[in-house]
Parts: sequence; C-alpha cells; structure tokens
Amino acid sequence: MRILRFTVNGDLVEIGANDSETLLEALRDRLGLTGTKRGCDLGACGACTVLLDGRPILSCLLPVWRVQGRVVTTIEGLAEGPKLHLLQEAFHMAGAVQCGFCTPGMILSAKAYLDTNLNPAQGDIREALAGNLCRCTGYVKVVEAVKLAATWMRDTTEREAAR
Amino acid sequence: MRRFKHFDASSLDEAVSLLARFEGRAKVIAGGTDIVGTLKDSVLPEPYEALVNIKTIPGLEGIRNGAGVLKIGALTRLEDIAHNETVQTKYAALAQAARVVATPHIREMGTIAGNICQNTRCWYYRCAHNRFHCVRKGHAAPGQSLECFASDGDNRYHSIFGDVKDCLAVNPSDTIPALIALGATLKTTKRSIAVKDIFPPSDEPTKMTIIDSDEIVIEVEIPEPQASSRSAYHKVAIRKSIDFPIVNCAAVVDFEGDVVKDCHICLNAVHYKPYVPERAEALLEGEPLTDEQAATAGEAAVWGAKPLPMNSYKITMAKGLVKKILIACREAG
Repeated sequence: MRILRFTVNGDLVEIGANDSETLLEALRDRLGLTGTKRGCDLGACGACTVLLDGRPILSCLLPVWRVQGRVVTTIEGLAEGPKLHLLQEAFHMAGAVQCGFCTPGMILSAKAYLDTNLNPAQGDIREALAGNLCRCTGYVKVVEAVKLAATWMRDTTEREAAR
Repeated sequence: MRRFKHFDASSLDEAVSLLARFEGRAKVIAGGTDIVGTLKDSVLPEPYEALVNIKTIPGLEGIRNGAGVLKIGALTRLEDIAHNETVQTKYAALAQAARVVATPHIREMGTIAGNICQNTRCWYYRCAHNRFHCVRKGHAAPGQSLECFASDGDNRYHSIFGDVKDCLAVNPSDTIPALIALGATLKTTKRSIAVKDIFPPSDEPTKMTIIDSDEIVIEVEIPEPQASSRSAYHKVAIRKSIDFPIVNCAAVVDFEGDVVKDCHICLNAVHYKPYVPERAEALLEGEPLTDEQAATAGEAAVWGAKPLPMNSYKITMAKGLVKKILIACREAG
C-alpha cells in the first residue's frame, strides 16, 4: 500500500491504496462516495462514470494510481449544499430517473458534454450519452432532461453575462 | 482482480528497462481499457505481474501536421483524433473509424497505439477465469492438448478466412483498417515499421502483433494522401455504441476523373489479422468506379473465404461493405 493524493469534489484527499486498485474501488470503499455505481465492472455500462479533469471516464477501468495529483468529480460534487445542480434538477423535473442506478453516470456524462456545448441537438445528446446504459427509462426522458438542463444553463449563463 | 504492481514511468528508457526486467510478465498500460478488463476477468493462465504506465512520459501525445506527413503520438486519445480537423478533412477514414470505437468514455481513455495493439475479443479466449484454456493461450499442462473452442462452438463472430494454428479469433481493431489503407507507419522504441507488417506470421497464433514485450510504440505516421484521393470507413456492429465490429472496412481511392488511379482497401474482424483484398484492389485500378464495378470488387474481396458453420453471413456482409465503402469514396468528392 502506498499513499496517493488527488482532489475529489474540491477536497484534497490522501488515501492509502493498493497498486491493483481501481478508482471506482477507492471512491466507494475508501472514501465512502457510493454515488459512483459498480455496474458491469468491465467498461461497458457507464454506471461508474466520473469526471477526470472535466472529461468523462470509466472509474472501473482506471487504476487509482492514474489520478495522482489530478481532479476527480463524482456525482456527490455537483450539488452545492442543499441546492441541486441544474442537471440534477432537470432529471428530477423531466422524470428521467426510474431505478436511478445509471443516473449518476448519465448526469456526469451530460455535464461533461454541456460544459463544451450548451446548444446541443437531440443527436448530440444521444451521442454524448452513448456510453451510459439504462434498462428502465428507454432514454427518451433522459434526453429531454439534458435538453431542459441545457436551456436552464444557457439562461443562467446569459443572466450572469448581463449582470 | 489479480494483484499487480503499478509503475509510473517517467521516460521511455525507464519504461523499456522495467518491461525488460519483468521478462514478458509486465505489460504497458496507457488508456487501460483493454488490459484492465483482461486482468479483472483473470483471462490469462499466467496474469501479468506488473503494469508500466506510460501516460506519465511526456511528449507522446498530440497530433502534428508537418511536411507531407501527419504524426500522431502513441498516447493521443481516440476522441481527440475523431475531432481533429486535419484528420477529418485529409484522413477521413481514420476520423470516421476513431469516432465509432466503443463509447465516448472509452474514446476519452483509449489511445491510438492501444487500439492498434489491442488483444482479441474472442469470447472463448476472454471468458472469465480462463474457463477456456485455448490454443491461443498456449502453455498446455502435461498430457493436455489445446484446442480452439470456437471451431466446434459458437463461431458467429470468428474468422471467415480460416484458422492460424487452429485459432479462429479475429483482430477487432476499428482504426487499423483505416491506418493500413492510408499507408501508416509505426515508430517504436526499436524500429519503424508499416502498420500492415506488424502482424505475426501464421505460425504464432498467441500474439496479436510482432511488437516485443519490451517495445513501446512512440508514434503513428501517415503520409499525406494525394489531393485527388478520397477515403471512407464503415463498421458493422450490433449496436451503434459499445460493440466491436462484426466486419469493418476502410478504403482510400485515388481518382483521375472517374477512373481509379490507385486503391487501397482493408477489411478487419474477418481474419486473425487485417485483411487486404488484393484481388479487389487490382481489378479496380485503371477502370471507372461504377456501382457494378464496386459490387464486383466486393465479390473479389471475399475470394477464398472459408466460412465456419455459423458465420457465412459475414461473407455477405464483407462483400456489401466493400461495395458501400468504394461508393462512399466516389461520392465523397
């Protein structure tokens, strides 16, 4: 076991981890951040999606040593206190959550995409979420939620720019 | 997951000496999307003892466009290749191939060199806990004879051009057909070698490429195609996202008016290594590329195919795909 330092959701953390541990295991088992889900555990379902330096990656396939000194965002890092992130709010409003297991990954993939483009076409959203499997919703409400969030985030950006 | 040691290499020299020290029992890790899955599932009878991370080596990432050649660093992520403007305009087949690898997440992690050097996806070989100790894995126990479980089993995704030393697994890479059609070369720590030449001769079924265990890919170099040429790529898979190709194909066609001056076609997922249908290329050259001619090339491309009980559909698919890609090249202009 060696000591590893990285930033999770704005906090600098220091953990002891084994060489063969994945980021997913470290997040869930060492840091108690169980919002990141273990689905297929082989990189096919997207439930374990987190943001590494702002880009969506699969934490189940990433040896934890690869995040040394880097910035990780999990679903727990999106809300500010009791105030949900607009994407979380939109998933709630649009009814885009059923069992909820895929939702953290969906929201983080969507966030990474909306951070680069706040005017997404339907096809862009579907493509950005192509790595996140959902067995309940049929994806329609999920795409609607991302569209709704994009509208809200655009409004917020414009309001802030006008200020 | 089986325990392994994880080393962050700070230079190519350090990485090479670490790999050499483990004498084949250590493996390079970059994106990790292939190797970590293999280790988690304990696919191999003798798992790797160490992974040598080369992501920590500076200067191996990025796309540089220089005097008549495009240089793509080994660690360049597939997502960056798919969205690079130069690649999209001048090396369209490669951009199209990179864009359909697995999922956006895998493309954010996976690198071009990793996509070239990836292991096979044969479902007997990849079955967890080495349940099928097959001929590809080698190392027979005393008195044990090794076999290919696909030959009598479910071989719907296996080779249509026969076995190599009884193994029927195929190469699943999306980018390799595009790279071969575009005439790409690999620069490694030991040599400079054309991508089409990195595959082993047919008497070494356990290896995907001839790249040594202590050799590291540094860069992919692609000569700039003629201004009069066009390229295209397409992949047939079950789902648009996530799945490996059932058959994929890339072509680069250089035109003089309507007439084909020069033509390079490469199919993949049909044989243990990428398949260049030379007969199809030869019959196209010097002739106008009509729909009929493209269809004839499709027929010629699968000449000599030997389907297995469950995969003759792949022959029909390969034929149609070659035709489709050739027409796409013609229409791209």
